[in-house]
Amino acid sequence: MTQLAGSQARPQRDARGTWQERLLTWRTAVRLGWAVESNWADPVLFLIYSIAKPIASVLMLVVMLQVISNGAASTADLGFVIVGSALWAFVMGGIAGLAWSILDDRERYRMLRYLAILPGSLSVILLGRGTARLLIAGMGSVITLVVACLITGVPIDIGRIDWIMLLVCMAIGLVAVIALGTLMAAVCMQTRQDSWSYPEAVAGALFLLVGAVFPIVVLPQVVQWVGLLMPLTWWIEGIRRAVLPDAASGIGGVGSVWTDVTGTLAPDQGVILVVSMATTAMATLVAFGGYRWSERRARERGLLDRTTGS
Amino acid sequence: MTATLRIPEPFHPTSSPMEAARWTRRRKLATDLRAVTGRAYPRVIGLIREPSWLLFEILLPFLTTSAFVFVYRALQAPPEYVGFAVLGGAMTAFWLNVIWMMAAQLYWEKDQGNLDIYFTAPVSLMSVLFGMAIGGLFSSCLRAAVVLGVGTVLYDVVFTVEQWGLLIGVFLLTLGALYGLGMVLASLFLLFGREAWHLTQAMQEPVYFVSGLNFPVGRLGMLGFLAIALIPLAVGLDAIRQLAFAGSAAHVGTPSPEVEALILVAMVVVSLALARAMIHRLEWLARSEGRLTVRGG
Repeated sequence: MTQLAGSQARPQRDARGTWQERLLTWRTAVRLGWAVESNWADPVLFLIYSIAKPIASVLMLVVMLQVISNGAASTADLGFVIVGSALWAFVMGGIAGLAWSILDDRERYRMLRYLAILPGSLSVILLGRGTARLLIAGMGSVITLVVACLITGVPIDIGRIDWIMLLVCMAIGLVAVIALGTLMAAVCMQTRQDSWSYPEAVAGALFLLVGAVFPIVVLPQVVQWVGLLMPLTWWIEGIRRAVLPDAASGIGGVGSVWTDVTGTLAPDQGVILVVSMATTAMATLVAFGGYRWSERRARERGLLDRTTGS
Repeated sequence: MTATLRIPEPFHPTSSPMEAARWTRRRKLATDLRAVTGRAYPRVIGLIREPSWLLFEILLPFLTTSAFVFVYRALQAPPEYVGFAVLGGAMTAFWLNVIWMMAAQLYWEKDQGNLDIYFTAPVSLMSVLFGMAIGGLFSSCLRAAVVLGVGTVLYDVVFTVEQWGLLIGVFLLTLGALYGLGMVLASLFLLFGREAWHLTQAMQEPVYFVSGLNFPVGRLGMLGFLAIALIPLAVGLDAIRQLAFAGSAAHVGTPSPEVEALILVAMVVVSLALARAMIHRLEWLARSEGRLTVRGG
């Protein structure tokens, strides 16, 4: 009897084979995402779009600061705002990236129905598409940070940066941003075409809670508690501490919930890392559960090939 | 038993196809008005059918506006600046609607296969654009009203209005200029093809910045002046701010509200004329070359 196919063609794979297949799927999706995002656009327009957006956001806050201080804002205050809003570009890209992948593939290219029946996991494909947008957003964040520091004269001393803290926080933050993006993808799977603006709306609302550009001590106490439960609050605090060791804390301070509960003015690096990991783990679990429920419901109700318009 | 054939209302029996093609002015107007209503309908009814937008398009944007309010509070800014942020937050509803649901809309329609139908339908494309604008205004007005109303109450914003008539007039002119610009951009974005998406993105934060969304645009110097001359959001917002916070020391370096109202009038006239010319050009291109309606380009 002739053997029709080799062992690799068997539908059931071992754990190693499954992971290899997922890696291949993810890699292909990243390449596709990058092609869709960059190669199909005019390079100049792409550059403007990737950089002008975050730089304009930072400049808006810098002008607000300068207007109120009559042009005499301190470099510490400017640094606080610049680091927070440069990081926010990354958050926006991450949250929107995964959600827009759903809308792109369902409403514009109408490929989601075909992706859903591929042997590879749909979530891995979406993660790959989202990764391309994360890369673009990350590039935008770094350029924004450099340009804004050059324009405003905020000194970032490379020698004083705590690189280990920076790298660990970035790794944790990346997981947190992907978790939030996955959750938004789950939401967009259930909603109509007009949900293009939903990820930005969510990111905008989180902007209020996490102390990205102002210390959360100015928020009402209940809202401060909500902010403390967000992984992004701790991520931004950690990055800010690593890049600008002298910057004010976005979490603690006289009158803050943190200081009232712990008796300390600001959390130290160890606490930031531990809480950051714990809140990220929580967010990841919620995102994983939410996505699985959403995908199952979308398959059952035929939402993956539904197109809408208004 | 004889079956009665029911003829639909728009049907008018004619003796020849030539006669059928000759429409009276009244009939054209009635058809265009029906097109306006028909195009506005899905936008309004869509909101009722899926209420998720209440959370994502009203509550969450209000929180974004609140973030800027708290920035000013953290900086201990004068109270009128909190009002500036609330007013700016309300006006973003219209700008977002213009760039997402007007400017990029014809491109989406092309992707969805509806554009061919628009070009072949016996209606003016301007009426389709008007319908899009009116339907979009419904949700934008609601969002702006909530941000303005709740923001005013929650953050104790005190408006000092001395010229109500001019304020209402400037607001309506701003809407006219914004949606006129949206109609022009709708044709332009269609020509840009895939880059419409990136253009829409690039027109958010950079426009907010040069329009002085949360601060007096006069503080930007020459850049602010250019924005006032070219961007309806910048000139409209500055005029509304000057009228809503009369006597505030923050308004420096920009023209008076009366002059800005005249700029808005010019913007409305130019944008509507330009939109009409461009849409006719597009229609001609679509009919003669047949390329505009090809998907994926």
